[in-house]
Amino acid sequence: MMAIELIPVSVLTGFLGSGKTTILSHLLRQPEFSHTAVVINEFGEVALDHDLIEKTEDSVIALTTGCLCCRVRSDLTKTLQDLLRRRDEGACTRFNRIVIETSGLADPAPILHALMTDTALASRLVLGSVVTTVDAVAGEVTLEREAISRKQVAVADRIVLSKLDLTGEVEASLHNRLTALNPGAPTSRAVYGRIESDNLFGVALHDARARVLDISSWLAEAPEHNHSAHDAEIKSFAVVRVEPIQAVALTLFLEALAEHCGADLLRLKGIVNVAESPQQPAVIHGVQHVFHAPAWLRHWPSDDRTSRMVLITRRIRREWVEVLLDAISAEVAEVSASNR
Amino acid sequence: MRGLSIDLVYELITQSLAAWHVAGAIELTGDGAIVIGAKPEIRIEPAQAGSVFRWTITIDGRMRPAISLLAVLRQVRGALDPGYAACRVRVALLPVAPS
Repeated sequence: MMAIELIPVSVLTGFLGSGKTTILSHLLRQPEFSHTAVVINEFGEVALDHDLIEKTEDSVIALTTGCLCCRVRSDLTKTLQDLLRRRDEGACTRFNRIVIETSGLADPAPILHALMTDTALASRLVLGSVVTTVDAVAGEVTLEREAISRKQVAVADRIVLSKLDLTGEVEASLHNRLTALNPGAPTSRAVYGRIESDNLFGVALHDARARVLDISSWLAEAPEHNHSAHDAEIKSFAVVRVEPIQAVALTLFLEALAEHCGADLLRLKGIVNVAESPQQPAVIHGVQHVFHAPAWLRHWPSDDRTSRMVLITRRIRREWVEVLLDAISAEVAEVSASNR
Repeated sequence: MRGLSIDLVYELITQSLAAWHVAGAIELTGDGAIVIGAKPEIRIEPAQAGSVFRWTITIDGRMRPAISLLAVLRQVRGALDPGYAACRVRVALLPVAPS
């Protein structure tokens, strides 16, 4: 049977005016992006010279009442399905990558949920990286004022600092703020919208095919970070376990997080030594209450066999997460032992 | 890895109440139960030997079984946190080995 080609879908997000469209315009002129389909979650601010632009008709979604999450998801799902159909019918260029540019006011989480949970899409598409642009000039003020901008940063796999042509250097305070919000995300710099495109939209580790990528950069170790007062609710920390975790315990642990944390679990990503598969670690990835199906790496990326899970949370106590995993693991071990 | 003990469960309940911002004095009794002094009062103890359930929870005098600590947490939070609406999303069981 012929293997189905999975197409990576990356998300470009960032607050209003943070330079998303400018950066995307630049990227789309690069040869390596010639087979990229772009979905704009906002009516275009710049006429992109590209023949594969899809526009979702959602210009009012961010401002209306009702279930924003569901509306975004249904619209996006339909758009992506149409795009795939056109590709299959030869009605557009045979693209090998999709980039979704979100509205500047959008919560990226529902978009990630749509990509992670729609079964029809899952057979064709795989979630790539989440790239968040931050205005190097006004970014600090925006982060202070706008909760959605903090969330956009918190869910990023990579942060792009834009408008460095205006400011030259990044203020240490902005850098510290970004590190506090998302210590695991590497930072790139954009000058006049130009950025090194290598790996900008590299497939993230939650891609089931991505078995050879750089774990350490994706899963940067995150000692608990303290934040300035306005970010006090958002924390990042790493949960590390030396002993392998049983698959059932891991499942129950994730279920407990989903059940009791919901939207306060902004992001979870991790590499886990599953007891039943000691040679092949599982890569887990979740946004709020939705978890992507785990991917299995072909082998451990280093001699380090510890399980490492990085959580970016709002109002979730690290102590609770730690004891929750301990208690669930202990109960599963006890049940397993009694069944032998 | 820590073994499952009533002390560990006590710690889990203590941390859970703090995480949920729910008030209640938690006591580990001499007969190996955990009592949460709140409204309603809750008592958590291991189920009797031979039971298919692992835990027994008594809420306001009414006994309920629980099959796992996850179920215990769900019942405790449901009783103490009026704003809690259990997320119905369930995480699919992790495949125990790569396919």
